[in-house]
Amino acid sequence: MHHAFKLGEAEYNLELSRGAGGYRLHVTDGSVPVNLRAEDDGHAILTVDGRSERVLIAVRGDDVFVHLGGTAYQLRYEHPLQRLAAQSHGAAEDQIRAPMPGSLVAVHVKVGQAVARGETLLVMESMKMETTIAAPRDGVVEAVHFEKGQTFDRDALLLSLAQQA
Amino acid sequence: MKAIPDPAVLEETRGRASNWPFRSVLIANRGEIAVRILRTVKALGLEGVVVYHAADRKAPAVQLADRAIEITGATPVAAYLDAQQILAAAKSSGAGAIHPGYGFLSENAGFARAVAEAGLVFVGPLPEQIELMGDKVRARAFVAKGGFPVAPSAIEDDDPATFVERALKVPFPLLIKPAAGGGGKGMRIVREAGQLKAEIERARSEGQRYFGDGRLYVERYVENPRHIEVQVLGDAHGNVVHLFERECSVQRRFQKIVEETPSPALDASLRTRICETAAGIARKAGYRNAGTVEFIFGAGGAPGAQSGAGNAEFYFLEMNTRLQVEHPVTEMITGKDLVLEQLRVAAGEKLGYSQEQVTSEGHAIEFRVYAEDPARGYTPTTGPVLALRQPVGEGVRVDSGIVEGQDVTAAFDPMLAKLIVWGRDRTEAIDRSDRALTGYALLGCVTNTAFLRRLLRHPAFVEGQVHTGFLDAHPEIAATPALDSATLHKLLAAAALSTRPMRDVADSVPDLHAAIGGWSN
Repeated sequence: MHHAFKLGEAEYNLELSRGAGGYRLHVTDGSVPVNLRAEDDGHAILTVDGRSERVLIAVRGDDVFVHLGGTAYQLRYEHPLQRLAAQSHGAAEDQIRAPMPGSLVAVHVKVGQAVARGETLLVMESMKMETTIAAPRDGVVEAVHFEKGQTFDRDALLLSLAQQA
Repeated sequence: MKAIPDPAVLEETRGRASNWPFRSVLIANRGEIAVRILRTVKALGLEGVVVYHAADRKAPAVQLADRAIEITGATPVAAYLDAQQILAAAKSSGAGAIHPGYGFLSENAGFARAVAEAGLVFVGPLPEQIELMGDKVRARAFVAKGGFPVAPSAIEDDDPATFVERALKVPFPLLIKPAAGGGGKGMRIVREAGQLKAEIERARSEGQRYFGDGRLYVERYVENPRHIEVQVLGDAHGNVVHLFERECSVQRRFQKIVEETPSPALDASLRTRICETAAGIARKAGYRNAGTVEFIFGAGGAPGAQSGAGNAEFYFLEMNTRLQVEHPVTEMITGKDLVLEQLRVAAGEKLGYSQEQVTSEGHAIEFRVYAEDPARGYTPTTGPVLALRQPVGEGVRVDSGIVEGQDVTAAFDPMLAKLIVWGRDRTEAIDRSDRALTGYALLGCVTNTAFLRRLLRHPAFVEGQVHTGFLDAHPEIAATPALDSATLHKLLAAAALSTRPMRDVADSVPDLHAAIGGWSN
């Protein structure tokens, strides 16, 4: 299967095809007839395996937000090419992202500086608490993406380490 | 449910408001409370002015106000704390009164004084009253002197030679705290007199180690404490009434999440006692405008033991000299519009009703909708408000500070809105709340609404057995529950059908292949 969505930490492979009167969703453990029909008020009627219910859906880039049965969920479409790239690089440790929204209180390193695993790179503040961000591995600082005092959202790219040869 | 306010009260007040010393009110606040205050200001036929930072340009208060004046600051929060800019905005807009809302400058005596010196009316208590209650030590001494209950305590510094002797007079269990302490470090609970001396020595060495200061104090320890507060209202003519209590025991990181009234912990006689105590404290302070007296409440006895009203204890904690976030639950059961009452008092009117004329009907619960992720330690979340649908229904009220198209940023407090639900009794209020929370849909930024529903259905909450340490004792309520496969399939279907590349691929396959594809697996 070529397509995938991320929901929380889990990734789900799936495929969509045309089916009688709508579509079919193929997942790893089988397939079900599905359909989605927009309503005038911005809601939609989602039908899965013959059962329908009202949902609210919003899409922003690759993110799909769904309010279903009283709970809001966020799914992210994983582009086939990006998945391939991520698998071959194992890049998670090169990109240091914000664990929560906040602002940068201190930058302890400069571009080009060699750092050791566990060394303090940045100090951020969120909810009036300071959090230290340490190097996940030995490496060289390639870029610092925010300056002291700037605010950012969760998952914002704060610092990049040069890729290892 | 009572109408808020009573239409006749609104009509009469509106008539008199044309002669008030102010005809225009500036709201020095933002978010839901700015909207809330504006609603009453406008209903009274007064002009509503707001100040706003650029980060709030799209906020509903800015849209709703008769006039909106931009203010600036090193940070968005700093703008709302800048008294000089706010006073200048009041001058330039011709506002005659300033309502500070809650937070920001609401309990800043210097600001209240500056407002008065500028010839404007401050919608709140007198600066001296803000000062008295803002100083926790002075406030406690003031309350104790009036004969009202404060937690029994012994302070070593008062007379070090007799400290142990005095500590033994405090009813057990006791809590030993370092005088220089904070953050729970060096605190020790003592349950028997025989252990006191040894524990004092341990606490002293811990205090020395953590704070470089071994001085201690001892106070009565309340097991599984509840936070119960009482709404009071006073006018400039010496009249004070209470508007019953609010139970605010569901907290995370010392911040309230759910508030309700009446408190499930109080019987009729306790309710009267605690409410009259609060009114007594306010009366002694000559309190003017709306305020809240907070108490720590213990049912008495060990957890799980038979606890009747006879063992119950409550002690003064502090007084908040402002309109509270949770004021709507009081409005729902009394029918009093608290902002209207505040404006009347600020205009110099008498309350005009007695304590007996303030009545309570039904049960109300407030839920704070926060931009935060309970499963990640309640850390704040951000994001665009892509879609927002708010519940409607009998007894359901939403006080909201956001609209679709706005961005939730880390610049401000994470509270987005409040959902307030009224029922004829607590059971009906809980049922309606569950429905209302289900209908509250905000997409684009994670909120705590699903967590609030889990909390609402927890047996301890349903039975009204909640104390301030409840959420810490039950971390499972904050955890995201596992998805069942039916829900997962629905979500994947919704996501796949909403994703252009996936639909395009499916639609590009000719019908014949589609039919064959349909047989797969």
